[in-house]
Order: sequence, then structure tokens, then C-alpha cells
Amino acid sequence: MRLLLIPSLLLAVLLAPAPLVTAEPPAATRPAGQDSDPGLPFIYTRWEQYTVEDGLPNDHIFAVKADGPWIWIGTEGGLARLDKRTGEIRSWTEEDGLPWRVVSAIDVNPLTAEVWLGLFGGGLVRFSGGRFDHFHQLNSGLVNDVVYGVCIENDNVWAATTAGASRYDTITGEWTIFTEKNAPMEEIWNYGCSFDDGKMYLGVWGSGVLEFDVATETWKDYLDPDGEMEIDLYRDDGIVHVITTGVSAVDGTFWATTYFGASRYDGRHWRGYFKKDSGAPSDFHNAIKARSANEAWFSTDKGLGVVADFPTDTWVVYTTDHRSHTGRAVVSRGGQVVETISMSPNLPHNYVLWTELDGDDVWVGTSKGLAHGIGKGYFPGLRRKPVKAQSVESSEIRGGE
Amino acid sequence: MRHKPIGPIAVGVVSLAAAALWPSGAESQPREPVYVGVRVCSECHEGPRAGHQFSIWRQSAHAKAFATLALPVSEEIARISGIPEPPHRARVCLGCHATGADSEEWERDETFRIEDGIQCETCHGPGSEYIDAAVMSDPQLAMERGLRMPDATQCMICHAPKGSHEAVLAGRPWEVGSAMQSIAHPKPREASAAAAVGSQGTEPLLGTSERRYAGVDRCALCHSGPGMGFQFSRWRMGPHARAYAVLATPAGYEMARRSGVAGDPQASYACLRCHATGAGFESASFEDDFDPRDGVQCESCHGAGADYSPEAVMLDKVAAKAAGLLQPSAEVCLSCHQQGHAGSPFDYEAAVARIAHPTRPAVAAGVNEPRYKTPVNLALTPDGRELWVACEASSSAVVIDTRTAEKVAEIGVGGQPHDVTFTPDGSIAYVTNRLDDSLSVIDVGSRQVVSTVEVGDEPHGVLTDRTGRRLFVLNSGQDSISVLDGETLEESKRLVASRVPWSLALSPDGGTMLVTNTLSRFTPPRTPPLSEITVVDMDRAVIADRVVVPDANLLQGVAWHPSGEYALTTMNRTKNLVPMTRLLQGWTITNGIAIVWRDGRVDQVLLDRPDIAFPDAADVALTPDGRYALVSSSGSDRVAIVDLDKLIGMLDAASAEERERVFPNHLAKSTEFVSSFVETEASPRGLAISPDSRTAYVANALDDSVTVIDLESSTAVRRIDLGGPREISQTRWGEILFHSADIAFRRQFSCHTCHPDGHVDGITYDIEPDGIGVDPVDNRTLRGIYDTAPFKWTGLNPSLQRQCGPRLSVFFTRLAPFAPDELAALERYITTIPRPPNRYRALGAPLTEAQRAGKRVFERTHASDGRRLAASERCVTCHPGPLYTDRQKHDVGTKGELDRSGLLDTPHLTNIYDSAPYLHDGRSVSLEEIWTRFNTYDQHGVTNDLTKDELNHLIEFLKTL
Repeated sequence: MRLLLIPSLLLAVLLAPAPLVTAEPPAATRPAGQDSDPGLPFIYTRWEQYTVEDGLPNDHIFAVKADGPWIWIGTEGGLARLDKRTGEIRSWTEEDGLPWRVVSAIDVNPLTAEVWLGLFGGGLVRFSGGRFDHFHQLNSGLVNDVVYGVCIENDNVWAATTAGASRYDTITGEWTIFTEKNAPMEEIWNYGCSFDDGKMYLGVWGSGVLEFDVATETWKDYLDPDGEMEIDLYRDDGIVHVITTGVSAVDGTFWATTYFGASRYDGRHWRGYFKKDSGAPSDFHNAIKARSANEAWFSTDKGLGVVADFPTDTWVVYTTDHRSHTGRAVVSRGGQVVETISMSPNLPHNYVLWTELDGDDVWVGTSKGLAHGIGKGYFPGLRRKPVKAQSVESSEIRGGE
Repeated sequence: MRHKPIGPIAVGVVSLAAAALWPSGAESQPREPVYVGVRVCSECHEGPRAGHQFSIWRQSAHAKAFATLALPVSEEIARISGIPEPPHRARVCLGCHATGADSEEWERDETFRIEDGIQCETCHGPGSEYIDAAVMSDPQLAMERGLRMPDATQCMICHAPKGSHEAVLAGRPWEVGSAMQSIAHPKPREASAAAAVGSQGTEPLLGTSERRYAGVDRCALCHSGPGMGFQFSRWRMGPHARAYAVLATPAGYEMARRSGVAGDPQASYACLRCHATGAGFESASFEDDFDPRDGVQCESCHGAGADYSPEAVMLDKVAAKAAGLLQPSAEVCLSCHQQGHAGSPFDYEAAVARIAHPTRPAVAAGVNEPRYKTPVNLALTPDGRELWVACEASSSAVVIDTRTAEKVAEIGVGGQPHDVTFTPDGSIAYVTNRLDDSLSVIDVGSRQVVSTVEVGDEPHGVLTDRTGRRLFVLNSGQDSISVLDGETLEESKRLVASRVPWSLALSPDGGTMLVTNTLSRFTPPRTPPLSEITVVDMDRAVIADRVVVPDANLLQGVAWHPSGEYALTTMNRTKNLVPMTRLLQGWTITNGIAIVWRDGRVDQVLLDRPDIAFPDAADVALTPDGRYALVSSSGSDRVAIVDLDKLIGMLDAASAEERERVFPNHLAKSTEFVSSFVETEASPRGLAISPDSRTAYVANALDDSVTVIDLESSTAVRRIDLGGPREISQTRWGEILFHSADIAFRRQFSCHTCHPDGHVDGITYDIEPDGIGVDPVDNRTLRGIYDTAPFKWTGLNPSLQRQCGPRLSVFFTRLAPFAPDELAALERYITTIPRPPNRYRALGAPLTEAQRAGKRVFERTHASDGRRLAASERCVTCHPGPLYTDRQKHDVGTKGELDRSGLLDTPHLTNIYDSAPYLHDGRSVSLEEIWTRFNTYDQHGVTNDLTKDELNHLIEFLKTL
């Protein structure tokens, strides 16, 4: 593990303002445009990196899941578990009983502590008390062994697979398959899933986002209204594209990513995001993780993008320049850069595959290792910089650009 | 449609109710057929032109098939078959005694009545789509719409010899040829039919009745079932119910002719007057559901009942009388019977006795079977003053005062109670009921069951945490642990155990709970068992670890040492990978305990001795002072007292090699740490020890008693009688034989060893008769198998007595075989082992969409590409209900490299979900694998055309059987 620290003065400046602004209302609650300086979002400046040198079985990180004191890490070469208290990593490969080496998805049942693994080509696994229970398309009702996403929904486990979605009732043992036969799937290549407030959301490659109401067992589909594959004809009219790569729902709002942009839907209004007119680092999104209706993290091929404050359209993009061995966070608003913060390398690689939020911290899976953004002092939305500290800090920050 | 006027049935008239179901013309499209019932069929198939087919059926045993389930003999058949439900509510009985018994409500038209027994549609298929006269006039079209013309093969599904029926019913063997003749119902030639019709008229002669007739079906709404002495069924089996139908027989015609009636007697008032209720009255005299073809019905004696038939009226005797209810009199009977056709004088008293229909049902022979207690587990109240005993056979918990050592109370609980525990304050007792899938909650002070909580399948062990805020129930039938809120008793979560979790123990600090799993995990073929002790973190109520016990199975009892350093569990070490000839070397099945250390390490030691084994180690308990462990051996009626200091000392002094490889197999090591063996009564199971470490209690399951052991002297000092019957019935004797290891060389095992709870031990054996190393076979359940003969995977044994006879001695037990009377008793017990109700579908409950879709796959006649499947390619052909086996041998392409033949007995599918692994050698760990891995060439039914969701549906349906 490498603990990457920014200069202590800068760190002090970034962390110090918090007590000074606690009396102010959160900046995120102020309508955008009413204040010329709505403030800045929290910037993750302390990063740790974990690679095979630290005990990971492989540096290709496909999935990360926070589980109390542990971080579960799915890699191309096995499963790993990082103990946050000790920093120790334990891993499981096929030699240790892991049924398949490529772990592409992870979810944890908060009630039972069972860890459910999606295996890329190997099906589904329940990891409980050190035992791997393997469910695959030959010994169970799982529709397909190429599993991209796993989600816990009450007593059910959902698996997003390349041939449809499977739902496994852990009480009755019943498997239900959702494909074009019984769901509005124009394509059956399920890429991701997310459960929130009684609804399961499926991100389907070629079929947008599907919403399944658990209580009524009914479906609702969200497709690109203009039907155009190459362009988004009308802005904010719906999901930007049907080639969905991820979906993350929280607080009644879902965020969806595609290989051609991203979308947010709060149940009434749509918002589309493209690199050309937002702070997004790329239109090629691998995954999405929402912290709230106002904050979402985008795993892209060109860095880690964050809608840090939806009302003000404030983005932060984290990237590492491996040639100069430096990291930086670029803050933009309305597509315009408003701040750039330099730091030591944050991401092991700018090809980001997965992001997991862990309280105030963030864990980022990349194609060359795992990053841990330490969120000490994290605050949602925006905060103005205190005047006194700002003068010192700004110069330091700018000096780092 | 019901008939109002008395008169000939209008041949060719079609039931309007049924007609409303049918599509017509271009709108026609395939629809799910439903049962319409024999009454609708009779619209065309009655009367002389139709050969009186309905009347022929009505006089047959088929028409009485449902009613006979009310007979005491039926109850006895069910009892000896291990069917816990009453016959008229048991799916397996109804499957051969009623048409469409397993169908959903929507599959039964309102004209259909299950009480009509085996009706036309059992043989000819549900009729809604072909019953239309126009369709039936085109045989090809009718067949396309589902009309079946069965052969004798279909009859054999129900009429193949059944041990249960042969054991109870004295009668000639059923013979298909004569049986087919007896139910023959040819349609006569037109000329003879016309002659039979004659010119008789049946115009109403009596005008309108003062009161309207309701019909026997109305009466049956209340006067059926055990609570009313099965009055309807008793009538249905009697001659009155056939009175109308007999007019259609040649004898009926002849009697009519001699009485001056020409033509069809069923069209003659002179005949109908005494052969059908309400004869002669105009149609206005009848309610819609009145059917004169029901012959002499209730209202012939009790008066037209439309006014008094409402329940509210009937409950008021005065009102009922005022509404027309008559007290039958001799005059009523004599008005017909005095001038009867028999020629002999009418004996009124004898006739009344024959048709007596008291509300108190007759007593079945089996009701006299003594009701034993069968105590299996026990627990002391926290203050040690009372000992509560879960009694499996009597469905009760017996309470013993420990000061007087006397039984002071008995509390009725659910079916087959298994375990009992208390809240920490001792105010509430919990009892698991494994037959009912429930938990009885008992107020200890009042000794009243205050609630019954539904839990998972077949619950065994139960325990609370140290605070009583959480309750843990082991669902052995679902391999799971239910976590209940101690206050609300609602299930908060369900944890995954291993296979068949059995018992559980809380560590002294309350932080950890160990759960034994009696079946091994699934292991690859030809590899030894691998059992698991599931470790629960009590702070979070989650699984913390899964300790593996290699080469062991049948882990049952578990208890912690008061130091919290280790726990002990009972276990077997079954050497199933070597031929059972090794029994002669004394180690086919060895028995002992596992020492489970807090850090997850495991030691294993045997309690066997070279000369005598310690079979069926059932439970373990440790003295609170930590000095001794007591282990019960239900197969040898003993309790071993283990000196724990010596045991641990022996282990501490041993090398790793000794602990890992020598001790687990050493037949003499127990001499170093077992201080004594205490003889008990029959089949000791559960153990409990007093808080002062001075007294131990052992539940003697097959003696209905508790043995009190004085731990100072290590002697049994008292037998506490739980109040069971004194006599030993044949069934009980068989049960004792089943659980005793006296039959096996050096008493290594009993029948129960491999069939705990009458079920399976989940492992595959290499049994010698086939040749060493040849034909390894998966163990099969004994639950509900009476009528599934032949037995053995090769189907070589036509009876259980054959299966358990001399060959058992030669190839398994290596001692003198059971004597004939012992064998008969053993068979009787085995057949009574209960078949639990299906957990996925109650009788008549609607299927889920997935189950319904699966049923279509199970019964399909065409492959996905439209190709018609040969009968041998369909699931239902070899697995027909109600047992879901045709009891024949088939080669389904599963012959393995160690098998001599692929020709195997067709297993029944009842409760198939709880007897994994599957196929004859246990190669399939799930139902899915039967078809995804082991049906490459579609020899086990055509299944490779099924999509994954269709296969899932099929499996969901199979789980309902």
C-alpha cells in the first residue's frame, strides 16, 4: 500500500475550513446562478493505492463492495478482502475454492452477511462462513454464467447476465428468469443492477434501464426517446442512449451510464451528460455509483468523474498523469473549469471500472489496481472557501496547476 | 345444468354450462381443458340409445371411489402407509379415488364434483374442449381436442398391486381383463337401442310438490366429512344411491317387464316411484341442483328439503320440523320395500341398520393402535425444577417434576415435536414440530400453548440467545436457520446452514453458537463425506465460520465445555467408498465424537470398542463442572460417560499424526477416556444434566420413559414413566427393531443409522451383492414408500420384506437375519414412517405461474419444434400421479462406468425436493443437473429442446409433487 499525501499545508487548508462554515446553509441548497461563488465541493486529496504488490490477486479490479470493516474486491484473478483496520489483504483464488477466477460483481446481504459474487463466465457464488456455494447454469436455474451485476433485494438475489436477469429466492430456492419473454428487454444483455426503495433497476445493453416494482411485479422501461444511436437529438428528453453500462438508484433518483453519455432521472425530470457540455471526463462509462440524488461517481475510460453537486452542475474529475507522477482534481461548473487541484497520484490508472462509496470514503477499481480516497471532512454539496484561508489556499492550489 | 323433471335424459342435449366454455369457428384456439364432470358427459351418454353408460358407471366401483375413502379400512390403509392426512384429504389417496383431485380450481368447471369419484375424465381426459356434441361426432377432432381412448396401461397406474391395500383389504387380486369387462360401456346398435326405449311415457302425474326438493348435493354440504360421520359417503356407497342406475341393467329391464312395464324402466313412473326421489312431480318441485339420477336420496325419507336445508334452519330442530324435515318412519320404507322384487320378506330393522348413518364415524381398525410417546429430546427449566420432554409420537410435551421424578403434565403441541428450550427467564418454552413446520410457544406457568409460529421445513433444534431477544430454529428440511425476534416471534432473517441442520449449542460466553449438520456436504463422486459445523456469531446473528469435519457424517448432538475452549458433537464415520465387506474388519461404520476447538480445529475419537460398537451416537451433554461428557447410543441402549480430563489429556499428549490419522479410526482408544457405559431403556436420545452436575436424564425414545442417571455412581437409578401404553404393537416392535443395532455385526449400525428420521443419509454406497466396486447406489428415502414397489434401484425386490430379509443379513449386517415375525414387524414400521405434506403446494392450492408452466412441460405431448413426442419421451408417462412412478424399470441413459446395467427402477417423485442427490448413484446434486448434465441424448425424457426458463418451470412443478 502506498499512502499518497498532498503537501501538509494544503491538506491543512483543505481540512481546516470545515468548522468555520458549519453555520452556513449547505451550498447545494442554494439555487445555481443566484450566487456568483456557490463554493466548491469536497475534494478527495488523500489517496491510497493497492495492487498485487499489496496482496491483490490481480490488478484488474472489476468490482468493489464495502462491508463494515472489510472491502471486498473482485479482480480478474480472484477475490480479495481488505481489512480496513489492519490494511491486510486476504485473497481467494480457484486454489482456495473460488469456483471461477474472474469476479465481476459483488454484493453483500446486510442481514445475513452473505457475500454474493458474480463471476464472469462462472456463474454466481454465495460466500458464507468461508464456504463457496456455486450456482451456475448447469446446477441451478441461473440463466447464464456470464454475470455482470449482482444485487440483493430482500430475500432475493438478482444476477445481471449476458442472457437475461435471474432472480433467486433464497428462501424457496426458486429461480426466475427475466428475458424478452416476460420483461420489456429489447436486448437481454444485462450489464448492471441497483435496488432502491422497492424497485430493482436493470441496466441493459441495448435496452436502456428497466425498472421492476417488487411489490407488483410490473416493469417499466426507460428507452432513448429519439431512438438515435449516434446522437442525442433532443436534450434531456430521456435516457441518452440504450447501450446501458450501469445504473445506480438512490433516494428515488437513478443515474444511468452508457458508452455514449450518462443520464439522471428523478422520477420527473431527465438530465443528460456528455463530455462536450459537462464536466464529464468521457462519454465512455464503465459503471456508475450514486451517493445521493445530488452526487454520483462515474467510472470512465478517462478517469473518475463526479457530479458533486447536481443543482449547480458542479463536477470533479480525478485523474493521474503517470508520466509526471501527479494526480489532479479538476472542478468544473456548467462545463467551465473553476478550479484545478494538484495532488500526488490518486488513481492507479485512469481506466476506471468500478466505484464504491464507503461512508465518506471512496474505493475505486481500475485496470491497474485499487484506489482508496479518504473522505475525512467530507461534506455533501458545496461550501464557500473562508476568506482568510482562501487567500492562502488558492495560491497554493493554483501554484500546483 | 341440473334436471328438474323426472323423465328420460335428453340424449344429445349438451350442458349449457359446458357449452359456454367452448370456442367456435374461426375464433377457436387451443385452450387449457378443464374437467366438466360425469354429469355433463351423461347428457349424451345416458339412456338406452347410449347404452345407459352413465348408469353403468354409476353402479361401478369407480363411482364409489371417493366415498370409500370414508371407510375405516381406508383410514387403516393410510395409517400403515405413513400418510398423515385423512384419506379424503390426502393427495396420494385422492389421486386414485377421484378425478382431477390434484387440479386447480380453475381446472374444474362448476359442473364438476370431486365426490363423484373416478369419472369419465380420468380415462378420457378433461372434457371441456371435446365434450361438445358436434366435436364428439368427429372422432378425429375430438382426439385433437384432448379426448383420450385409454388402454389397460393407464388402469395399471392405480390398479397395480399395492402392498398397503393388500394388507388391509381381503379380496381377489385385481385382474385387468375382468376389470375392463366390468366397466365396459359399449354403445348399443341403433335397433336394439330403439327397442329398449320402447314407448313408455313419463309425464308428471302428481302435480307440484308442496315443498321443493333440494337434492342430495345440498345435504352433502353439511353431511359429509369426519365431523358428520361421512354421511354423504355412506349414502353414496349404499344401494339407494344406485337405485336409479340399476333400472338400466338387464335385471332391471327384466323386472320391469315382469311388472308390466315395457321399454326403458328409467322412463317409467311405476319404477321410478321407488327408484328416484321426487318421481312424478312436476319440474317446479325441484331446485336447480336436484338430480333424479341420484336415485333414492335423503329427501325420500326426510321430506323435500329446500325449506329446511339451510344450516340455520337445521340447527333449530323446531324450525326444521316446521320447514318440512320428517322423522323417517317404517311406513316410508315399507311403501317401496314391502312389495320389493327380492321375494323374501323385508326385514325393516336389518335394513335400517344397514343404512344407519350416525354422525359419529365408525372406528378404524388402526385407531386401536396404541399411541406411544416416543420422547426424543428434553430440557431442564433454567431453575432445574422441571424437565420438559418433546414426545414425537404423541405430539406432546411431557413435564416432569425433577424433585419427585414424576410426570406432572402433558401439553399437546404440533406434529412430531423434536426439541424443546426455554427463554432465559424460564417463562416461555419453545417446541419445534417437524411434521407441521411450526414452533409451539408455551407459557410455562399456565402450561398453555399461547401461539404457534410457522417456521421453515422440518424444524429440529431450537435455542435462544442469552438475552432471549433472538430465537434460532434449525430448518432441517431446508438447510437453513431461522432467526426469530424473541418479542414478536417474527422471522427476521434466515441463515444458510449445511445439509439437514440438527442440533445447536450456545457457547458459555454466549458469543458463539454451533450448529451440527447431520448430512455431509455434497462431495464429488467416490469421495468421502465432508461434514460441517456451522458457527454463528451471536452478536450479529450471522454465519461466522463453517468448521469442516472430514470423513464424518450424521453429526447430531452438540454441547460446549463450560470453559468455552471446545465443544463436542456426536458423529459417524461411514466408510461408504469401500465395499461393505469391510464390516468384517469392524469398521464399515464407526461411531464417536468430534472435539471442536474454539479456533476451528477438530479432533475425532471413536466410542466404539473392538468387540462392541457405539452405534447411533445421538446426543451429548457435559456436566456443568466440566468433568464429564455423556453420550447416548440409541442403537445399543447405552450412555457413555467420558472423562474429559482424560480425553483432552490424551489428545494433548498425542502427535499431530496420531490426532489426524490414528485416533479417528482407533477402536480401542475409548478405553482410555470412557469411564463407564450406563445401560438405559430402548433407544436413548436426548440428554440433559442438572445444574449441580449430579444427575443426568436420558429420553428413551422407544420405551416412553426417561432414565435418571446418578453421576456419582454412574448408574441408572430410576425410570420415569411418561405414560405411554404398556403393550408393544407390531408397528412399535418394528420401530424398535429398526432402531436397534443388535442386528449388525458388533452392533455397528441399525437401519436408523442410514435412514435418520426415516429419510436418507445422503451418501452413496457400494453394496456387495452386485460385486465389489460395482453399482454404487445412492441411499433412498423410506418415507411413504409402501406402494412404490419394487424396491432397490435395480427393482429386484418386490417387497420390503424381501428387501430387508436374508439379503440384508448377507450383504449388510452380517448376522442372523430377522425372524419372519420380526421382518413383518419391521416392514409394518417402515411403511408407517410419515410422508411429510408437500411444502410447495397444499392439496388443491393454486399453482404459481412457474409451477403451472412446469406442469405443461411435464405433461407435454409435443416438443418445442412441434414434433409429437412418443409416450416414452414424456415425463408423465413414467412418472404418473399420484405416486409419480410407473413402478417399471427404464434405461434413461445414466449407466455409469461402474454400473452393470442402465435398466433402473423408476423412483417416485413425492417430495422430491428433499432427497438430493439424485439419480441412482447420486451423481446429480440438484434437480437441474439431471437434465443439464446427465440427459445428453434425451433418453430421460426429451428435455434438450427446453429453454432455461422452461426447465426452471419444470423443476418448480416437480417440487409440488
